[in-house]
Amino acid sequence: MLAVESLSVAYGGLTALCEISLAVRAGQFVSIVGPNGAGKTTLFKAISGTVCPSGGCIRFEERDLLAVAPSQRAHLGIAHVAEGRQIFGSMTVMENLEMGAYPQTGRRDWGRNLERIFAMFPILAERRGQAAGTLSGGEQQMLAIGRGIASSPRLLMLDEPSMGLAPVVADLIFERISDLHRDGLTILLVEQRVAEAVQSCDFGYVLETGRVVLEGTHQTLLSDNRIRSFYLGM
Amino acid sequence: MRARRKLIAPLLVIAIVAMAWIGLGMIVTNSYYQLMLTLVPIWAVMGLSWNLLSGYTGLISFGHAAFFGLGAYTVTIALVQFDITPWIGIPLGMVVGTVAGIVIGYPTFRLRGHYFALSMLAYPMALLYVFVWLGYQEVPLPMKREAPGFYMQFSDYRVYIALAVGLLVVSLLISLAVERSRFGMSLTAIKQNEPAAEAAGIDTLAWKMRAIMLSGAVAAAAGGLYAVVLLVVTPDSVFGMLTSAQALIVALFGGVGTLWGPLIGAAILIPLSETLQAQLGDVIPGIQGVVYGIAIILVVLLAPEGIFWRVRDRLQRSQAAGAAPMTPVAPPIAALAPGQASSRNRRPILAVSGISKSFGGLRAVVNASFEVADGEIVGIIGPNGAGKTTLFNLLNGFLAADGGKVVFAGRELIGLKPNRICRLGIGRTFQVVRAFPRLSVLNNVVVGAYATTTNDPDAFAAASAALAQVGLIGRSDAIAGGLTNKELRLMELARALAGRPRLLLMDEPLAGLASQEIEDMLVVIRALAAQGMTVVIIEHTMRAMVRLAERFVVLDHGAILAVGQPSEIINDEGVIEAYLGKKWAAIRARG
Amino acid sequence: MTSLGTFIEIFLQALIAGILIGAIYGLMCVGLGIIFGVMRVINFAQGEFLMLGMYFTFYLVVGFNMLSFLGPVVGPYTGALLAGPALFAVGYVLHRFLISRVTGVSVAGTEGEGHYAQLILTLGLALVLQNGGLILFGSTPQSVRTPLSARAWEIPLLYDANASLFLNKARAVAGVVSVVVAVALYWLINRSRLGKTLRAAADNAAAAIYMGIDVDRAYRIAFGIGIGITAIAGGLVATYNPFQPYIGLDFVIIMYAGVVLGGMGSILGAFWGGMTIGLVQQLSTLVLPTQLQNAAIFVVFLLIVMVRPQGLFGRATERV
Repeated sequence: MLAVESLSVAYGGLTALCEISLAVRAGQFVSIVGPNGAGKTTLFKAISGTVCPSGGCIRFEERDLLAVAPSQRAHLGIAHVAEGRQIFGSMTVMENLEMGAYPQTGRRDWGRNLERIFAMFPILAERRGQAAGTLSGGEQQMLAIGRGIASSPRLLMLDEPSMGLAPVVADLIFERISDLHRDGLTILLVEQRVAEAVQSCDFGYVLETGRVVLEGTHQTLLSDNRIRSFYLGM
Repeated sequence: MRARRKLIAPLLVIAIVAMAWIGLGMIVTNSYYQLMLTLVPIWAVMGLSWNLLSGYTGLISFGHAAFFGLGAYTVTIALVQFDITPWIGIPLGMVVGTVAGIVIGYPTFRLRGHYFALSMLAYPMALLYVFVWLGYQEVPLPMKREAPGFYMQFSDYRVYIALAVGLLVVSLLISLAVERSRFGMSLTAIKQNEPAAEAAGIDTLAWKMRAIMLSGAVAAAAGGLYAVVLLVVTPDSVFGMLTSAQALIVALFGGVGTLWGPLIGAAILIPLSETLQAQLGDVIPGIQGVVYGIAIILVVLLAPEGIFWRVRDRLQRSQAAGAAPMTPVAPPIAALAPGQASSRNRRPILAVSGISKSFGGLRAVVNASFEVADGEIVGIIGPNGAGKTTLFNLLNGFLAADGGKVVFAGRELIGLKPNRICRLGIGRTFQVVRAFPRLSVLNNVVVGAYATTTNDPDAFAAASAALAQVGLIGRSDAIAGGLTNKELRLMELARALAGRPRLLLMDEPLAGLASQEIEDMLVVIRALAAQGMTVVIIEHTMRAMVRLAERFVVLDHGAILAVGQPSEIINDEGVIEAYLGKKWAAIRARG
Repeated sequence: MTSLGTFIEIFLQALIAGILIGAIYGLMCVGLGIIFGVMRVINFAQGEFLMLGMYFTFYLVVGFNMLSFLGPVVGPYTGALLAGPALFAVGYVLHRFLISRVTGVSVAGTEGEGHYAQLILTLGLALVLQNGGLILFGSTPQSVRTPLSARAWEIPLLYDANASLFLNKARAVAGVVSVVVAVALYWLINRSRLGKTLRAAADNAAAAIYMGIDVDRAYRIAFGIGIGITAIAGGLVATYNPFQPYIGLDFVIIMYAGVVLGGMGSILGAFWGGMTIGLVQQLSTLVLPTQLQNAAIFVVFLLIVMVRPQGLFGRATERV
C-alpha cells in the first residue's frame, strides 16, 4: 500500500534521513523503532508532506505521493496521528473529532465512526463538550487516535503514541491500536517503546541516524539481541 | 593589533564622508538643496539611534518619535520660555532623552516581540495628545537677531549643514564604539539568543537599558537640531507616526545593525521622498508616505536586513567561492594538570534537594533530589517529556522553582538570575545552537567570556583558550555561518567554557551527530572532565552515554526514578519499564 | 442634591455613549481579533482598512449615490455592510500576494522573526494606504450623513423632570448593527463548519494539514474576514463621525488595546475588550479633558500589557 524508496531528507546541513526504503502492505502492522534523532518523525513528516525530501520517492497505492499537496493527502486515506498529540486545544473534543472527519470519507461514515470511537474510548464520550486542551495526556492521545479514525482512513500512521504517558495508560493505547489492526486497518507505528512496537507488529524496521539498520518480521526482531544493544549500548 | 587596524578603515570612511558632505555644502547655493543636505544627516542620526536600540538588540521600536519629539520640545521650550540657547538646549534635550529611555525602557523591556513594538508605538502617540492638550500646537522658534550665533541661528545655511554633519559624525563614532566593543557584542548576543546570552553571564536587562538610554539621547539630539533648523515645531511633525516610521525605514532600508545602514538609507530615501514631495507634493499630497511605504514593503520582501547586508553577503559569497578547503579539526589538547585526574575531590559540588515545578496542572518536576560530585560526569536520562530540560532550566535560573533548594559550591542558587548563576561558575549549552552567522568563530565565543573578564584582550584570550580546549582553535577566524553541525556544537561548548565554569550543563550535545562525530565529542568531553570540570549531560543516545557517564540520574514524569552507575541502571526494572516498556522483560524471560 | 444629580446625569450620559461606542469598537476589535488574536499575525494596517471601509461606504452612498433606492436611512447602513465583502476581497488578495510571504509555514522556522517582518511589512502597507488615500480621496474630512446623525432620542431620567439622556440616533443604530454583526460572526466562527475549519487552522496548522484542511486557504479567508469586519465597523463609524485618510492611526491603538485586553485567541474577548476601551474612553472624559481621552487609552493599553498580558479572557499560555 505504501512504498518508500531511497528517501532522503536534509535540513540545512543536517541529513535526517539517508536513502531509506520500507514498505507497508495492506492490512499489515508495521513498526518503526529507534532512538531519538533517528529520523522517525522526519519520515512521517515526509509522508504527510510537511517536509520536503531531497531525494527518493514515496508511493501510496501506486500513486506518487510527492506530487500530491500536503493538505490533500488526508483525502487519499492517510491519517497521521502526530507526535505529541497535536490536538486542537482551543476546541472541544467533539469539534476535534469533527475536524478529523473533514475528508469526504469521514463525513460519509460519521455516525458509524463516532459510535466506534466512543466504544473504544468511553471517556471521550463523557468529555465530549470539554476543551481538548484541558484533557489529560492519555485522554488527548485517545482523542488524537479517535480523530485519526474519524476520517475512515486506509492507513493509520501513529507517531510515538506512548510519549509522556504513564505505562498503564500506554498499555491501554496499545491494546486499542492492536484492536484496530485486528479489525483490518493498516497501521504504521513509530515508537520509542520497543517492546510494545515489536510485540504487536507484523513487520518492523529499526532506524538509527537516518538509516535502516535492521528489519524483519515480528519473530526475527523479538529474538534479536541487537535491538537491546541499539538501545542501551550493551 | 588586529582590532586597531580594523578601526582605521571605518574612521577613514567617516572622515571622507564628512568632508565630502561639507564640501558639497560649500558649493550648493539652492536653498532647497541646502535644506536637503541638512536633513539627510539628521535623519541618518535618527536612524542610527533606532539602530542602537532596535537594530542591535532586535527589539523593534515603533516609538522613537517619542525621544525625537522630547528633544525638539526641550530645545523649543527652553528657548521660548527660558531664553536658553540651543547650544545648551540640545544637550539638555539629550538628558531628557536619556531619562525618557529609562522611564520607557524599564517597564517595556519586560515585554517581548510584538507587544514591545506596539507598546513603543503608544508612547509618542500619548505624548502627542498631551502636548496638543498643553497648547503647544505650533511653536515657532523666535528669531534672536541680537546674538544669532549664540542662539544657534545663522544666516549662512552652510553652518547648519556643518552642524548636522558634526552631529552625524558624533553619532557614527558612538555607533562605531558600540559596535566594536563589548556593548555591541552583548547586544548582538541578546538579539541572537537571549536565553543563551543570559546563561553566558550577560546581564541582558542592564544592556538593554543602556542601549535605550543611549538611543534616546541620540534621537533627542536629532530632534533638537531639527527644531533649530526648521524653526517651527508641531506635535505631529515630531511625535507623529511618520517620524517613527522614518527612523525605522532609514535604518531598515540601508542596513539593520550596522552603522553604515542608516547613512545609506537616509542618503537614498530622504532626497527621493523630499524631492517627490517638492515636485509633486501639490498635485499628489502624501507621495512621500507612499514612497516610504513601498520602500518598506520591497525591503522586507527582497532584502529583509537592508541593502548593506545584501550587497555585502553577495560580495562575500563570490569571494568565498575560491576559499581554501576546510581544515580538519585538530584533536583536542589533552592538557592535564598533574595529579588532578587521580586526586579528584569527591565532595558534592551541586546538591539538589526536593525541587519542584508545576505549570498550571502539569507537574513538570516533582520533588527531585540528587547530588553531583566535583569532577564527575553525570548523565540525565529519561523518556521524552520527563522533565529533563525543565530541570536544567531550574538549575540555570530560567525558571523559578516552586520549592526546594539548590546549593552549588556552598551558594544557594534558587532566586538568582541566570547571568548571576553563570558568574558563580555554571555554564550551559543549549539544544539548539544559535550562532552569529556573520561573525567569526572567535567573536561568537568571546561573549561567553564577558562575565568573567573586564577587558577585551583578556576576553579574547579566554575565548582562544576555550577554543583550544575543544579543538577548534584552527577555525577561530572562520565565519560561523559555514560551520558543520559538529563544529557548531563545539563552538557552543567553547562559548560556555570561555566563562571558565566549574560545572557544565549540556543539553543534548550529541543530537543530530553521526557516529564518528559523536566519538569526537566524547573525546572532548572526557578531556574536559579530566581537567577537573564537572559535567552534567542530558542525552538520549544511550550507546554513547553508557561509555561516558560515571553515573546516571533517570527522570520519569518529573520524578527521579533511579540514580546509579550505568551497569545498574540499564538492568534496573523501573528503567526498563520507563524506557523499553514493561513487556520487554516478560517477553525476554519467556524467550 | 442637584450637583449629584448633574453628576449622575453626566455619568450616565458618558456610560451610554461608552456602551454604544464600545459596541462599535468591539466590532472593530473582533476584526483585528481574528487576525491578531487567532492567526497571530500582526497587522499594523488594520486602522487603514477601517478607513477604507469608511470611504467605501462614502463613495457607495454619497459619492456615486448607488443606494439611494434604499432611502436615506437604510442606505448608509447597507453601504457599511457591503463594505464587508468588498474589503474581504481586498484582504484575501493582499494575504495571497503579500502577507503570506511573511507568515505561516515559510517563516515558522524563524523564531519571532516572522513577527518582525509582519510588523514592518504591514507598516509599509499602512503608509501606502494612508497616503494613497490622501492622494485619492483628498484631505477634506468627509462623512456619511443620515437623517439620524443629528437627531437623538431623549430618555427622561426618572428622578428629575429636567434631566434626560440623549442618545444620538446615528450612534445608537450603529451600535446595534455592530452587535448584530458581531453575533452573526460569532455564530459563523463557532458553529459553522467553515468557522471550525478556520479555528483549527489557527490553533495548530500542522495538525490541520494532517486533517486535510487547506491551511493556506483558511488563512486567507480568515484574514479577509478580519479585514471585512473591521471595514464594516468603519462604515458604521462613518455614519456619525467625520473622517479623513489619516483616521486609521487614531484607531490602531484602540483596536490593539481592545484585543489585548480581551485576551488573545478569544473573539468574544476581543468584543468585550473593545467595549471596555469604549467605556474607558467615554468615562475618562469625566475626569480628563477631551483631548486626552485617547492618551488615557494608551495608558490603559500599557497597563494591561504589563500587568496582565493575557487579558481578561485569554489563557496564560503566553509563556516567555
